[in-house]
Amino acid sequence: MHRAARTASVAVSLVTVAALSACGGSGGEDVAADQKQTLTVWAMGAEGEKLVDVAKEYRKANPNITVKVTPVGWDVAHQKLVSAAAAGSLPDVMQMGSTFMGEFASLGVLEPVDTGKFTKDDFFPASWEGNVVDGTAYGVPWYVDTRVLYYRTDLAEKAGIDQAPADWKELSALAEAYQKKADTKWGISLQPYNLDAWQNWLPFFYSAGGELIKDGKPALDSPAAVKALEEYRTYFDKGFAKKSVQPGYDVVKDFGNGSVPMFFSGPWQVTNIADNQPQLKGKWAAAPVPADASATSFAGGSSLVISKKSEHKAAATDFVAYLSEADTQADWFERTTDLPANQAAWDDKRLSGNENLKVFREQMENAKAVPAMAEWAQFSSKIDAAIESVTQGKATPEQAAKKMQSETAGLVK
Amino acid sequence: MTSPTTDPTTAAAGDAAGPPGAGGRPGRPEGTTPPAGRRRRRSGVARQHLAGWLFSVPFLALFAAFMALPIVATLVMSFTDFGLAHVTDPFSAEFIGLENYTKLLADERFLTSLFNTVYFVVAGVPLTIGAGLVVAVLLNNGIDRMRTFFRVGFYAPVVTSIVAVAVVWRFVLDPADGLVAGLLAEVGLGSPDFLGSTTLAMPSLIVMAVWRNLGTVMVLFIAGLQAIPPDVREAARLDGAGLWQEFRRVTVPLLRPTLLYATVITTIGYLNVFEEPFVMTAGGPADSTLTVSLNMYREGFNFFHMGYASAMAYVLFVVIMGVTVLQLRLLKDNTR
Repeated sequence: MHRAARTASVAVSLVTVAALSACGGSGGEDVAADQKQTLTVWAMGAEGEKLVDVAKEYRKANPNITVKVTPVGWDVAHQKLVSAAAAGSLPDVMQMGSTFMGEFASLGVLEPVDTGKFTKDDFFPASWEGNVVDGTAYGVPWYVDTRVLYYRTDLAEKAGIDQAPADWKELSALAEAYQKKADTKWGISLQPYNLDAWQNWLPFFYSAGGELIKDGKPALDSPAAVKALEEYRTYFDKGFAKKSVQPGYDVVKDFGNGSVPMFFSGPWQVTNIADNQPQLKGKWAAAPVPADASATSFAGGSSLVISKKSEHKAAATDFVAYLSEADTQADWFERTTDLPANQAAWDDKRLSGNENLKVFREQMENAKAVPAMAEWAQFSSKIDAAIESVTQGKATPEQAAKKMQSETAGLVK
Repeated sequence: MTSPTTDPTTAAAGDAAGPPGAGGRPGRPEGTTPPAGRRRRRSGVARQHLAGWLFSVPFLALFAAFMALPIVATLVMSFTDFGLAHVTDPFSAEFIGLENYTKLLADERFLTSLFNTVYFVVAGVPLTIGAGLVVAVLLNNGIDRMRTFFRVGFYAPVVTSIVAVAVVWRFVLDPADGLVAGLLAEVGLGSPDFLGSTTLAMPSLIVMAVWRNLGTVMVLFIAGLQAIPPDVREAARLDGAGLWQEFRRVTVPLLRPTLLYATVITTIGYLNVFEEPFVMTAGGPADSTLTVSLNMYREGFNFFHMGYASAMAYVLFVVIMGVTVLQLRLLKDNTR
């Protein structure tokens, strides 16, 4: 038995040494782009499924590179990426949501973007800036999204208004007119609390001239924050917006039946409305967010990043370059209706002829991303809490702004 | 470093740990056993041990890897500042002593979640046990027809996925066009916004949890009721006991062990409550349904404060341990 135990322990330590040296050996050597290799790619949600087809196209042009795409659900994406980062088993290329960027960049698992190959000016400024941490860009923007105002034109006509609200005052007036003259149940839908209420609130905050981070510190008690919270609150106080919304609420359903004639959301709702509420065709429109000091919306989207440990960086860079080319991006739009991050793709006839898209392009030029920071999840949850306390009448905008400022102070380094 | 047959320490250890009686088989007195046979017997015992260990290895390995290790790791982690930055290099986390625990005591959100959990347990457990007992007694005595139908009906929620349950319950509780709202509208009343109100959200979840867990308790009680000998009941009836007296003086005391078990299991389950608030309210509104488990999940997986979340887990563990010990003491069968 002792001999067996000794043999076993020797075997174990040999395996360990082998494994350790294998770990140590990787990362250093890089396979050249023209060699035969397999590239692993993770992409989330619908993109993950559609990317499989694009990868096949890519292979036609580059027969030596096999691209293996693994679709990952958005709901598990964050956890999967964190555990893969912990285990050192991140894929060569992955899609990174704009709000994850700061976290993973600060973990040191991402390869900085090769600025010789990718030019900042090709992309929308907001989407590029969102990938910059301490002056270094870690991701190449892939697609963008920005929040705009969706509203029912037929009901607006009934309420005696024939154009999109241009500023906060007109927005509020339209909400009131919908309720009073067009007999809709609510005037607008705004997220009162819970997950990601901040996404609805940011357009107000940015339009009021607010900045989340100023001079390396949170700026959440600024006059702009108080003003935006105050404006947000009035919709609940006046009964224009519903004060309670449950998880999983589908605003498009209520948009379709007319009980909610306005809401803020991203470009994916265009397809969603067309697919699920076909009777609405021609009865709605999207407009830029109403202005205060400016009409600035929140820009999100996804970027493509390369793992620092990847042994196929040359091929990975080539694949990312292929995906961010104007032509591929226009083709990608046709497959997914994801809005191209590459500005040149918008001049392609596949996009330029699309009337629905104009508002997004216009808004994209006037949008700000959230700053890339490691503690974004917690930072945004503090904003959510402030929004909740204001919409539920638990705190005045001043108190809420002060509280979120003090709670976020330690989160920015 | 020698082979087991000649190593005295191994052989002795093997004998000492062997099953009683294995050393002296009848018909083989100590002195007459030839040395070769002795050796063979010893190696036989050793082989039996080896076989025993080998058979236990799958369990032991799984237990060590998936239970013992995480439990210990969590305990260690609860004394460190383990966060997202330490994911790639776990050993860079620093020990900070009891700081996580002292921070917990001052954390308003944690105290709220602790209060909510206690609320859930204090209201939910008696309701579940009471309702389960009533249903079990009725199914056992009162209802003859369609007994299986009712049993299945009460047990079905237990085996239904929480996501499906949540969808259905949201329809039931919807203030605009839900079932409850519809019934109230029939009699000319407006419906409150159950899940959107800070006062009603928790009671709504408790009712849902009672409905969901009633089946488990009912099955336990039916089994317990059927174990009560009919002659005891008959004797009670002959002595002139009414229905209530029979229930109060015969059924409940004889059901005590089952009652204790059901209470302990339900309490542990409810102290860990996570799914109901997670799918129905996400802890809102205003944290009024935020439970300890949900809070822990958020800290751990949304913000990645693993050290802090581990400390929460251990506080919850101690609470569960304390409550369980207390229940075992208080509800112990003192009649024996």
